[in-house]
Amino acid sequence: MTKPSIPVGIICSQHGPYQAMGREILKSAMMAVDEINEQDEFDFAISAHVRDPRGIISEYHTVCDDLIRNVGVEHIIGCYTSASRKQVLPIVERTDRLLWYPARYEGFECSDNVIYVGASPNHNVLPLVRYVLDNLSREIFCVGSNYVWTWETNRVTRELVTAARGKILAERLLELGESAVTHIVDEIVRRRPPVVFNTLVGSSSYDFIRAFHAATTAAGLDIPMLSCSLCEPELKIAGPASAGCITSSAYFESIRLPENQAFVARWKARHGEHSSPSVDGQSAYVAVYLLARALQRAGTSDIGEVRRAAAGHRYNSPQGPVWIDGSNNHCVLTPRLAVSNAAGQFDIFWEAEAPVKPDPYLTQLDIAASPARDGTLPNAPHLRVVK
Amino acid sequence: MSKPSSFSLRGRKALVAIRDERDATIVRRQFERLGIDIVSWEPGATIDCRPDVALIDDEFLPLTSPAQRAALGRSPVIALLGTETPSRLKLVLDLDPASFLVKPLRSAGIYAALVLAFERSERTNELKQQIVKLDQRLRSRRVVLAAVLQVMHTHALAEPAAFALIRRTAMEQRKTIEELSAEITAKGSLPRATG
Repeated sequence: MTKPSIPVGIICSQHGPYQAMGREILKSAMMAVDEINEQDEFDFAISAHVRDPRGIISEYHTVCDDLIRNVGVEHIIGCYTSASRKQVLPIVERTDRLLWYPARYEGFECSDNVIYVGASPNHNVLPLVRYVLDNLSREIFCVGSNYVWTWETNRVTRELVTAARGKILAERLLELGESAVTHIVDEIVRRRPPVVFNTLVGSSSYDFIRAFHAATTAAGLDIPMLSCSLCEPELKIAGPASAGCITSSAYFESIRLPENQAFVARWKARHGEHSSPSVDGQSAYVAVYLLARALQRAGTSDIGEVRRAAAGHRYNSPQGPVWIDGSNNHCVLTPRLAVSNAAGQFDIFWEAEAPVKPDPYLTQLDIAASPARDGTLPNAPHLRVVK
Repeated sequence: MSKPSSFSLRGRKALVAIRDERDATIVRRQFERLGIDIVSWEPGATIDCRPDVALIDDEFLPLTSPAQRAALGRSPVIALLGTETPSRLKLVLDLDPASFLVKPLRSAGIYAALVLAFERSERTNELKQQIVKLDQRLRSRRVVLAAVLQVMHTHALAEPAAFALIRRTAMEQRKTIEELSAEITAKGSLPRATG
């Protein structure tokens, strides 16, 4: 018997400056859709309607409008940058649809029409900066893409560093897609900062990583690089230069959980042995499963019912247990820190002892900013070493 | 101890007067996310707490009780606007709002309105304190002038030298120029350092 089909929109840019991540999101979302459609657990099939805004910001509005008006979707999975989410937000709010947003983002938003599946700022920026302050340096050189993710990440970093009586040595910004990075790399070599925090996205980041590695190696410098967004497919794009980057993320391919090992095996069977899932892709996969499970539990695609059915429902995902905090529509998940290696993977060196509640408005930031007394994070994450 | 982030609103107390239940629900949910405590209030009732901020629905304006207006005047007010007609805006202006939100409310905008209100209130209070200080100094100019004339006369000095002597003595005695000037005019001469 053919299962009834529920149309779901998928919006991700497969062209443009962050096409690599858009393609990863699409691959992972479609993998979840195909798995769900084959499972008896679900008494419906998901009919995916994919749209490619090509990284053009105004196109997000157009394709979202098309999905809602012409296809009649109630649920949309996708968007990568905050700028793209902000384009889609007014339409989904006006038409009362639900956007399942997979990417980690800077927080300070809480729409009833968005489920925020990726990491909140207390999941990624806070653990990373606390680790740096406690173990590496109180002086940080920041370089990032000139948009809201970098602005807010730098703001939080500055608050934490200043509270620890440290110093932001510089904030250098590049436009999205900009490849002229030499002047910033030259400045880094000249000033020799203890650490560099890279919040560049897409091709700018890969160009920077390669130029940074070449210049610091030539100068005999060993400056650690930090990231809250780097993932395995990007390590492959950037090449061997990307080794040694200290990265904060809720997902790494190297997570030693049975759910992840099975996920990675299915991924490689589908996309090739040398292919790797990414944090945002895995998050899109989680988003599709959270949606499908909520649809199954609600017995309807009505967004109010689905939202209620989704809240608090624990899903043992590849990244570990994940559930939606019904008070703010963000996900409870497990922060981790890792360092990238020459094989294009991450070696995880610590993770939170238990999943951490999302704090999209960083209401606990003043506590997090107070100096750590015992070397662990003062905020909710209680860390343990992962070997 | 480090200064708390000015963008973290956790632990603040808000007085909330909202007529529409849907708007009130949105505010309650957003305040809960931000860690803000709510005290619901209906005009007519007395205000028996000291809120950090007040959200006042324009449906409840004008506030006729002077006691209510005085109580609200101690904390920044965020006005909730249902209409932009000048007659209604005039009533809102009487509250001297630090920020505003347009009804029907959404979760987006509430955080920004709160941060703007707290910042505006803090900056206004700083300016008021500055004005009080300047006012006091302006009033004490007469005393300083009298003291300079006194020192010019008793020490046979020109005006710049007399003022420099008063300033130096004030610094040595860890007093303001105004305080020392008051002593000079009271005693008729430059007081000697003690201790």
